[in-house]
Amino acid sequence: MTVAATVAPPGVLPGTANVIAVGVLLLEFGMFRQALLRDQVRLYAAQSALISVLALVVAVARHLPDLYVLAGLSFALKVVIVPLVLRRLLRGLGERGEGPGWTDIAGSGSLSLASTVLLAIGVAAFGVFSVAALGLRSPVLPGTALAISMAVVLVSFVLMIMRRDVASQAIGFFSLENGVSLTSLVVAAGLPLILEVVFLFDLLVAALVFGLLIRVHHGRVDSLSTAELTSLRG
Amino acid sequence: MSPVLPIPLVQALQVATIAAAAPVVSGVIAKVEARLQGRAGPRILQPYYDLGKLFRKEALAPEGASWVFLAAPLAAMTCYLTVPLLIPVLTTFGLPLGYMGDILGGGFILALASFLVAVAALETGSPYAQLGASRAKTFGAITEPVILFVVFAVALITGTDLPYALAATVRSSASQIVRPAHLLAAAALFMVILYETGRIPVETHTGTNEFGMIEEARPFEHSGPYFAVLKWGSAMKQLILYTILINVFVAPWGLAASAQLGAVALAIVALVAKACGLGVVVAFIDNTFAKLRLFKITEFASAAFLLAVLGVFTLYLGGG
Repeated sequence: MTVAATVAPPGVLPGTANVIAVGVLLLEFGMFRQALLRDQVRLYAAQSALISVLALVVAVARHLPDLYVLAGLSFALKVVIVPLVLRRLLRGLGERGEGPGWTDIAGSGSLSLASTVLLAIGVAAFGVFSVAALGLRSPVLPGTALAISMAVVLVSFVLMIMRRDVASQAIGFFSLENGVSLTSLVVAAGLPLILEVVFLFDLLVAALVFGLLIRVHHGRVDSLSTAELTSLRG
Repeated sequence: MSPVLPIPLVQALQVATIAAAAPVVSGVIAKVEARLQGRAGPRILQPYYDLGKLFRKEALAPEGASWVFLAAPLAAMTCYLTVPLLIPVLTTFGLPLGYMGDILGGGFILALASFLVAVAALETGSPYAQLGASRAKTFGAITEPVILFVVFAVALITGTDLPYALAATVRSSASQIVRPAHLLAAAALFMVILYETGRIPVETHTGTNEFGMIEEARPFEHSGPYFAVLKWGSAMKQLILYTILINVFVAPWGLAASAQLGAVALAIVALVAKACGLGVVVAFIDNTFAKLRLFKITEFASAAFLLAVLGVFTLYLGGG
């Protein structure tokens, strides 16, 4: 029996790119659930690794030598250095704190997990379909990856809004940058290398600043939660 | 050249294979699970002995239970015997009755069986069985949207929602397998199957009574042959769902392309082997994860929903 497929499968390169993009989005959703600071940082590292792999795939498939450099640099910075910096900055936070629960960020969501995921699916749908409606065509990667990268950006906003702990908010900001990297890979894979590198080092500064802010915050209220920051509330 | 079997016989063999092989798949899972935990575990054929023992025992019904209580297990069994007619159990080509219903039709029949068991549980008046029935229906309603979106994904890929058509599409080329929509839909369906068959992380699949029980709590008041039919039915439901996942989504290979005796026999062996393989994966998951608290099951369902919805999204964008 032969049946004509109504939606033809994408080719190998677009298919791989789409699978990686979907993986990035799924890891973004995973950040809603992580209960430990360490796991949250690991999830971010995994997401960054996926972006680097995608850059490498595009470099190989489209013969863009710049992207090899970019893939290497983004791997070194986002998978190794930024998580390392974060871990270094946050190490020892708990020794003054109260017991082993110091890196516990479980249940910091302001809604239940299932409701948050449903909300984020709605937001992601908005991003996906609004970008699809624009009808952008990229010579390098399929439009699906572009639409999903927009969903990653929007879902990272939801993450920052819904989780009330500084660690998730910082990681949400970093993963937003991952979404933007994905977008730039799709629409402007030939973006001058120097610009990409500037973005990456920007991220390093952000990691330092956020790490310090988290430390300061933890020093003041002895927890990673932002639920107690109510002194300015009327 | 082996003899060609008449088509009605092949059709009957589909049902017979599911009915006969279901307990052995459960036995393999229980054995593997026990080995992973360092126990010797029961014999692989133990479920058959259990069923044989129960069939010889006396049947009792709680006081005040009407005929529904006794009819429900048999009616549910009828449902489980009907579904294998609709799905590709042994053959790549659609058998005459295979077009009676699509994936949704099969889903409805399985839902009807589950509903009948729940009604029988309510009939008992036992709070524990009623709790299980109520929970099963509640969480069943939560996983329903996931199934719908999986069906949507299938329909967008094949233009129909006949299971035979999707299996043929998956077999047609490797690019049909690695496409994101297919991977996401298969993963979502697998999560639903974990729920429907009462496995970790939703429910512990053992005989011990506990508060978190859902499906396993329903047949508490049944006994003797009726309980045997319910147990057999739930093993068959498990094998039916495994068959759908394997022969429609994940690995539709090894099916008979003709009604020749050799090909059909090979298909039976292949099906049981593949189902046992999937059972080993399930046993591994059983031993790797902790059971979710009852109110965390919505998180599990929302994750499955996310996968299914993303699959449909990528299809709509034309890149799935």
